[in-house]
Order: sequence, then structure tokens, then C-alpha cells
Amino acid sequence: MSDSRLFRFPKPAWLNSATTRSAGVYAAGALFAIALFLQIDAATFSKSHLNGSVFNVTFIDWIPGIFSLLGLLIINSIDKTRLSGDSFSYSGDDGVAWKARVVLFMGFAAMAGGLAGGVTVCVLKYVVKGAEWPALWFGIACVVGNAGVMMSTVVLWISQNMEDDYTYNLAL
Amino acid sequence: MAMAGIKTIIVLSFILAIGFLLVILSSALFNNFLTLLVVATYCIAPIPNWLCGKASNQDDFTDSGSGNSVVELGRFVTGFLVVMGVALPVVLAHCDLIRPEAMVMSIVGGLLIYGTIISFTMFFRQEEEF
Repeated sequence: MSDSRLFRFPKPAWLNSATTRSAGVYAAGALFAIALFLQIDAATFSKSHLNGSVFNVTFIDWIPGIFSLLGLLIINSIDKTRLSGDSFSYSGDDGVAWKARVVLFMGFAAMAGGLAGGVTVCVLKYVVKGAEWPALWFGIACVVGNAGVMMSTVVLWISQNMEDDYTYNLAL
Repeated sequence: MAMAGIKTIIVLSFILAIGFLLVILSSALFNNFLTLLVVATYCIAPIPNWLCGKASNQDDFTDSGSGNSVVELGRFVTGFLVVMGVALPVVLAHCDLIRPEAMVMSIVGGLLIYGTIISFTMFFRQEEEF
């Protein structure tokens, strides 16, 4: 493994331990909770008596979050070993890797669409119509919440791709 | 060993009682019982790890649990629930449904309760192995 290395510095040893892996999974769950509760906070704040503006959080604000959640579920449900299955062909049917890539592409599209939709909702519903600060928070929470779901997906993906030393290394 | 176990149990039960005291005070002082949700959150927080650990033991023919998706799902839900126990009072206080003092008391009390549950599980598991 050492002669196939590309960079001068080796990967630090703690990056492959099982502890780092489980810590990454916990951190992904924590990030997802923060993202979800940012949006719940925006919705609750718009319903409470502190909201004196004409802006309100409706179902439209939740649609990007739903797409981001779909992306998170799809991306992390894919078995990562199927992605490189075509070159080895020990799996028998060689259409699995192709299917896995198509489904994974749909997952990434849903996730990027969720983030873009969050920015769209923030701009079209709040910034263009001139929302001031307490109402502008609804749009910012939408953007930051979707970005948090995306960060959670990234952390979960990285920690799922950490392999221990005695398992094989998947180069993606 | 037995004395240490008894001392541990006594200390942990005191901490658990202080945690429950803080949460109940935070709801009863302001006559607003929304903060009891924190107790519910922290009580169901260890359940996903436990259930998924049980579920993964049945077909454990692969490597030592590192590639097990069910265990990772349990860890994800646990991380979600722990942060939810902190985020829920913050959201409630930000939207003026509870007072900020109640938020601080319920967060501290909930963390004490959850720490008690986790450390009790650790001590219990260590004694089980001997």
C-alpha cells in the first residue's frame, strides 16, 4: 500500500481508527439535528408573538429541506463497494455499478437542488421583498439548514469510507 | 470492588436526582411544562444504540462491527437525539415560549440525566465482563 501513495505525507493513523469513524457518525447526526432545529426555530418564531412582520414560514420553506433529506437518505443508503464493481467483475452481473452510479447521481442532484432551492426561497421570498432582520432570519435559516444537511451528508460519507487496516481500501 | 460499585451507584443516583430536580424546577417555577420534553428526549437517547446493537448481533459474520450499517444508523440517531435535547430548549427560549432561566436549567439538568445514564451503562458493562 505504501508504494502506491501519491502524496509525501502519509495519512495520520487516527484517521483510520474505529473511534474516529464512530465519532464521525455521531457528528453527522449532531449536524443533522442542528440543521433541522434551525428550520423548526424559524417556523416556530414565525408563529410566535415575536413575529410582527407580514412574513410567515409556509410549506414552501420546507420543500428544499425535504429534498435535502431525500438526498441524504439516498446517498448514504448506497453500498459504496458497488461503485467500483465493474472493473473487478466478481459480482457477476455487471449492471450493478451502473445502477449504483445512477441512483447516486439522483441523490447528489436532490441534495444540490435542495441547497439551491434554499437559496431561491431566501432570495425570492424574503430578500427581494425587503424583509428586515427578524423576518430575514426565516430565509437565512432555510439556507443554513440545507447547508447543514449537506455537511452532515459529507461527514457521514467520509466516515463511512474510513476503513480499518485489515479491510480493503476503497479509492474514490 | 463491591464498595466502589456501591459508591458509584450512590453518586450516580445523586446526580440523577439533581438533574431531575433542575428540570422539574425549570418547569414548575415558571408554570410552563414544555421543558419536560428534555427529559423525554434524553430518556429515549440511549435506546437506538441498544436496539441496533441487538439487531447487529444476529448475523455478525463480517469484521468487528466496523462495517455494520445498522450500528451506524443507531449512532446517527443517538447523535441526533443528544443535540436535540440541547436544541429544543434553545428553540423554545428563542421563540419566547419558555424563560431563558428555564432554558439554562433544563439544559444542565438534561445533560446531567444523560451523563448519568451513559456512565451507569459503562460501569454496568465493565462489571459484567468480569
